Amino acid sequence: MSRDDDHTATDLSHLRGGETARNHDARTIAALTANPGCARRGVMDAAAVDKDAVARHLGFGAPFGQSQFAITRGNAFEAQVKADGCAELLALLRDGLGLDIPEVAYDDLESVGTESREVRHTRTRHLMARALESGEGTMFDHPLLRLDIAGQRAYLEPDVIAFQLGGRFHVVEVKSFAVVDGQAEPEQVAAAARQSAVYVLALRELVADLGHDPERVSHEVFLVCPENFSNRPTATPVDVRPQLAVVRRQLARLTRAEDIARDMPDGLTFALDDALPEAVRSVEARYAPECMSSCEMALFCRDEARACGATGTLGRSVRDELGGVDSVVTALDLARGVREPSEDMAETAEQLRVAARLRHEALAAAPAPAVPARDAAAPLVGVPAHGAGVLERTA
Amino acid sequence: MSTLTALAQLEAIASGRAQPVATVRHCHLSETPLVMIPLKLAGEAAAPLATMLGTDRNAPTLLVVPQPRNRDLRFGYAAELAKAVVEHVEAERGATETLEPSKDGEERFRYERAPQIIVPNRGSVGFLRLLGRSTRFRSTEGPWAVDPAVPMLGRWLTWFADRNDRPGSSVLLTLTETLRLHWATGQSSLEDGNLAALMGWIDPPEGMDGPSAAARAEDPVVSPPAGPATDPTFDNEVLAPAIAAFDESGGEPRAEERIRAAVASQLIPTWDLAWRALDLLRALPEGASVPKRWERDRDSFTYFHREFAESPPQAKLDDAVRAARRLHDLERSQESYEAQRAFDDPLVMAEQRLAGQAFGGMVTESEPTRLDESGKRPKLRPYVRIRTEDPVRLDEGATVVNAARPGLKGRVVEIDGQDVLLELTGGMGRKQTPEPGVVPEPGQRVVFTSRTADSWGASKFPEREDTPWTHGGPPAEYEPADEDATEVWS
Amino acid sequence: MSGSPGSSPDVLEERIAELRAAVRRAAAGGDREAARSLRTELRRAEQAWDEAVLGGDPVMDSPTPAQARRDVGGVARGLVPVREQVHQALTLLGVPAAPKLIGAVHGAFFPGEIPATRLTSLRRDEERSFRSAPYARPYYLCAALTADLLAPARGLLTVSTWPLRQRIVGPLSARVDFLTAAIRVAERAKGTDTGRDAGVQRLLWRFAATIPGATGGTVGTDGAVEPAVVAEAARAELAVHRDADGRDRAAAARRAADALDDASLLFGGGLRVLPRRTATGDGPGAGLGTGDNTTTGAGESPGDTTNRRRR
Repeated sequence: MSRDDDHTATDLSHLRGGETARNHDARTIAALTANPGCARRGVMDAAAVDKDAVARHLGFGAPFGQSQFAITRGNAFEAQVKADGCAELLALLRDGLGLDIPEVAYDDLESVGTESREVRHTRTRHLMARALESGEGTMFDHPLLRLDIAGQRAYLEPDVIAFQLGGRFHVVEVKSFAVVDGQAEPEQVAAAARQSAVYVLALRELVADLGHDPERVSHEVFLVCPENFSNRPTATPVDVRPQLAVVRRQLARLTRAEDIARDMPDGLTFALDDALPEAVRSVEARYAPECMSSCEMALFCRDEARACGATGTLGRSVRDELGGVDSVVTALDLARGVREPSEDMAETAEQLRVAARLRHEALAAAPAPAVPARDAAAPLVGVPAHGAGVLERTA
Repeated sequence: MSTLTALAQLEAIASGRAQPVATVRHCHLSETPLVMIPLKLAGEAAAPLATMLGTDRNAPTLLVVPQPRNRDLRFGYAAELAKAVVEHVEAERGATETLEPSKDGEERFRYERAPQIIVPNRGSVGFLRLLGRSTRFRSTEGPWAVDPAVPMLGRWLTWFADRNDRPGSSVLLTLTETLRLHWATGQSSLEDGNLAALMGWIDPPEGMDGPSAAARAEDPVVSPPAGPATDPTFDNEVLAPAIAAFDESGGEPRAEERIRAAVASQLIPTWDLAWRALDLLRALPEGASVPKRWERDRDSFTYFHREFAESPPQAKLDDAVRAARRLHDLERSQESYEAQRAFDDPLVMAEQRLAGQAFGGMVTESEPTRLDESGKRPKLRPYVRIRTEDPVRLDEGATVVNAARPGLKGRVVEIDGQDVLLELTGGMGRKQTPEPGVVPEPGQRVVFTSRTADSWGASKFPEREDTPWTHGGPPAEYEPADEDATEVWS
Repeated sequence: MSGSPGSSPDVLEERIAELRAAVRRAAAGGDREAARSLRTELRRAEQAWDEAVLGGDPVMDSPTPAQARRDVGGVARGLVPVREQVHQALTLLGVPAAPKLIGAVHGAFFPGEIPATRLTSLRRDEERSFRSAPYARPYYLCAALTADLLAPARGLLTVSTWPLRQRIVGPLSARVDFLTAAIRVAERAKGTDTGRDAGVQRLLWRFAATIPGATGGTVGTDGAVEPAVVAEAARAELAVHRDADGRDRAAAARRAADALDDASLLFGGGLRVLPRRTATGDGPGAGLGTGDNTTTGAGESPGDTTNRRRR
């Protein structure tokens, strides 16, 4: 964390074209690691461009809205677990980890009377330093952490508790997805583990920065989730070492923002004006379907990739099957044998030609099914058993 | 994923329409399947919001929980759903066939038919599974009694969801997966998970092509998601105000009616799509081995149904023996399902040919009456030479069977460029001369494969009572517990 | 354009469908202005449909149960103002408490409900009143102060007449106050013989569930929690934390009394007036009081910081 970072920060801020910088959280940082080779995402994230606003301006707003039912449920569960000095969490930690009765200290690191992130981060550092030296403190709620992303300093505001037990810190994350009979939806656990890994990494950086062994932040995090179909919380330890390794490697591999910026056309900005489409297109993207779950620009990039006939829009496995041929037209020409393959594509071309012949042979032998007429699917005319008027009204 | 499917996807892009990846239908379709489209409340594990269901496309039933957080309303809904599902199960039983007794003389039965549930997508299966888990342990007596149909629903849903894990089973089908088994689109698997977008490629509305129909399907305002989650803007702008008004009114009927109307608007497009998808699947000729697999489904159904009254609800977690047996069964089903599909469908067999595990071509020479006289008794061992363009990756000595007549077995003698010499070893009758028409003749097109159906034998597992101590010893018997009956469902 | 009562149901339905789609698009596109006005129009069209199809205005016809309930609540609130209700609950508890606990305690022991929406703005209203006419009221509902920064603690309410140390929260205070509250609720239940009331039982459960020994083996035959057992278990744990917490609070109270003006003492001084810490020398926190970052805070509404959105 040298002074140069601040310098670069000013350098890249012009890319926002006067728009406000977007804050990072663990979700966005975990998302960065999803597609480290994408220059477009790289430069926009490094300059803290509000990609959501950009995508909307381009007419490709990301469908990342959340249902108020989900938001309410998530907030209510978190509030419940943390109520009264984390009374429920404390009971879980006492039962599950044998936390001693005197270990009840609770510090809300957000209570500084100001929104200033610098002040909040300083307080986090201060209390963490004291805890590392004296062992004072048990639960630290809402730490404000910092992480270097592609040479840029990002603040992280995790909704987590840093929990100290026997001189080691654990990340405790409250999530409102249910754990039923000891099992939760794997995607949700994976996403939570990825996010927690980002927090562990940021906490470790802080601990190292304070002159202590970063290993004092454990790779074991605790997910606190509702148990079965109730509101009763249950804590599940999760070893995030695999996610840590991935996040660390991907963050290190992220092209440094200043390197990307150097190759940018002069005067490039992502200001929300008429020149925006051109500006965005001038930075190369690497679209894959996975982007849809992590990047606000995904719909725009998909449209662009489809328009130029990129095989990547079909997914990584299809691309792999095509031996890296990234154009639909090229692949089809190779399959039809109307294009002479380059030497490194000879094998793929042969595979495609055989595939085309086999497909043709099999389909020629099979009778084409008679596609039923559409009027077979008669419109809804019957009177349903329930809510007759309703269906008529909305059909 | 294979190069063949990838190629089909490229063709789909080029033509703007989905392309077939199967020439026959690989699943059973009942004449009266129960189509179910469940919706749940966002943010909750298993809070049902509504289900549209029925066996008649013109007469769907709509069940709605007007306030999904209200326990009584939720159990009321569960009881109604239970009646619909159990009614379907009983109606789809048909007559009982008596089979040959088993080896140890036990009587065996099989119902002529079995129920079938059709849901839009994978998420629906996960939701039905959770709904099953949250209802099957409910007590029907005592202070927390629920309608007796509720735990029955839980056990049936659990059975359906468990069968769905088994490759080749058709009692609970998801439309997106079933359609993808038969068609390839010009979009990724992620986008294919949207039933409307997938159907847009396969069967675009008049005047549209695949991409434009799929693009329309991705607008949740014109094309509501197939569930179980509803669109967030629907939740925020339509459903939440309607539920709030219902609460405010103290459960007034017209407030409930408004919720039903709003929810119906989200379900009807998917309902119509689901039946249209069934039309398309039904138009495909049924694969030859489909009845055989459906028989396994009927066996499972018969067993579960006959034992229903005597059995406790399915365990929350499998015990060691059950888990091992289940895993073994699943792997075996997967293996034989894949093999059977290839025998049923030349387009699936093409995958094996592309991989070099099978080959097809024209017979160039044939010695139908050749005898192997090296042993004590001469054996019928005809030679057949086949010219193929396929990239054969088989070793000499490899065992192969004829794709069209799996009984006809052979062995690879030599591979010389495009020529494969086979020695036929079985399936030609018991005499010293082959039955007429069995040994392929010059000019005939044939396909031989090295992958055979049912290559695995059944494994032996200890009885439940004999679970070894290394696996925790015999598990405890199920005892109904208050904890299960009272488990909060909030 | 809005659905006039004279329009036919078909026209209205079309209109409703259009408006719903438009609202959803506006909301998804982040256009709040448009979404708001479309929402109003939609509600109007829906009402017109109700009248046209379902007939009559239900509100006019007969009061629904919920409305009836609300009226009763209104009367109860009319008798006792919200700040009075909160004061009652806080006085019973005797410790800084979050609105949720205050509401639960009031609901269990006093007539009438505290409307949750009113609690969010309460502290701000009290501060405004104090600043315009200091000490004009016998008491103010005010903030708890954090022990180290003397900043308003998020989401806690206290009473101005309490000793300062009672209004300060250090790291152990959340637990100490929780246990103290448990004891006082249990004593109250015992004293008023309300221990079996449903509301009181719920409240006792909430405490008992997370205090070691508060439920174990003592649950009555009817599954009820025994107030005496809760109080005893809470006292046992309280004994572990009380002294250390008391020292923290007393020390912070002395610092606060020296450093803060009257309004800041009640509603939080923020960082401007933070004295230099002596215990940790020049630790990172020490610079806070004199740095450039410290110009904000004093006037900031603590309510705003609790208004966090989930990410």
